[in-house]
Amino acid sequence: MRAFQTTVLERKEAVERTLATEPFEAGWAGEAIFFVEAHELAGGSLLARVQISPDGIRWIDEGTARASLDGPGHAVIRVTHFGGWLRLVLDAPPGGGGATQITVHLALKE
Amino acid sequence: MNHTIAFPPGLSRFQPLGTILCYDDFDTGANGWLDLKPNYRFEGFEPRKGAVDMTRWGPTMLSSATFAFPGTHGSMTGTYSLKLTTRPVANPYQAIPAPGSLGHALKRLSVHRPAGLLQFEMWYAYTPEQDRIGLGEKDIRAFGFLFDLQDAEYRYMPGVRYLNAVDGELVQRWQYCNADGVTDAEWEYGTEGWCKRGIDPQWFGRRYADGHTDGFKYVPDGAQRLCYNESDDKINWLYLRFQVDLATRSYVELQSGDRVFDLRGLSPTLVPAYANIEGLLNPLLWVETDTDRRVFLYVDSIVVSVA
Repeated sequence: MRAFQTTVLERKEAVERTLATEPFEAGWAGEAIFFVEAHELAGGSLLARVQISPDGIRWIDEGTARASLDGPGHAVIRVTHFGGWLRLVLDAPPGGGGATQITVHLALKE
Repeated sequence: MNHTIAFPPGLSRFQPLGTILCYDDFDTGANGWLDLKPNYRFEGFEPRKGAVDMTRWGPTMLSSATFAFPGTHGSMTGTYSLKLTTRPVANPYQAIPAPGSLGHALKRLSVHRPAGLLQFEMWYAYTPEQDRIGLGEKDIRAFGFLFDLQDAEYRYMPGVRYLNAVDGELVQRWQYCNADGVTDAEWEYGTEGWCKRGIDPQWFGRRYADGHTDGFKYVPDGAQRLCYNESDDKINWLYLRFQVDLATRSYVELQSGDRVFDLRGLSPTLVPAYANIEGLLNPLLWVETDTDRRVFLYVDSIVVSVA
């Protein structure tokens, strides 16, 4: 059977300007999905982009895995071939006044 | 019934009691060890409000122990260990722990035989995130282990903590859990809440300048330097064994590396049983940062055994 792991990286967390999820080691997994839920969203679109890293310190945009949330609701970001580390960066809409609140799940599968 | 059991070679570095409840090598997955979260069962799926924010502890994950300069460390056997993490945030030692300043992993079990000896063993290592130059040993405040237990009469948490540093000064002494003489309100930082004294000592209980807390007392002759190594990206696997007696609800001994600390005569604090958790047997690990820096506890493998 294939190993599987879901971690709740953020729960109902405010995004003031930019929020990066905690560094997460995922070297054992072949595929990943970030589930992003925007509970509140003010001022425009919330941008989410996956970053990868050689060491958990230096982070680089993965380049293909990204999504935009235009209102409260869910987004799904799939990523494969990511090496050992994953995180998600969320860029809050300008002028949102801190009214953007998100939950992020990371689902990993072998 | 006669049993014939193939002995896994990895077990030979442990000293289990007669019945092994679990032998968890994290090359085979998380084996049921997961993040500690509060009870999300109130209006809006919110937890209770209290003095400590229990919703933001650092995430636990399977780790290859990969660093910028040496690359992948791997684990003691194989590639993966269980890694407990904190967020890069800490309050001064004597303040209430900051949200995210600890990381936990626990496994949820229950008793299956009359009360006797209960033992936890692990091979582990610890280091901070190598995000700055120098040696970060003093940035790790503490790591610890406890059993969360409840029988027909009492809930109690026997456990041990390695207090490594207090506000940037190395301490490096073992402590054991005991909250005798503390009121429940004092325990929860002056709020008359739900938690009872002695329960969740990793974050409850006032902390004092000399490093002891309302819930952690120093083990007699408990000073010990561990093999931290000379750089934050070099980890050495360390051995810990901790034994309690459920029949007498008391401590037996702690082994760290080649040293054995006799804990006989010491006891955890007993409080009246909580609802819904009779028979609870949860082993729990945690790590705590001392400054604005993530710290990590890597666990190669664990054995929980009873006799």
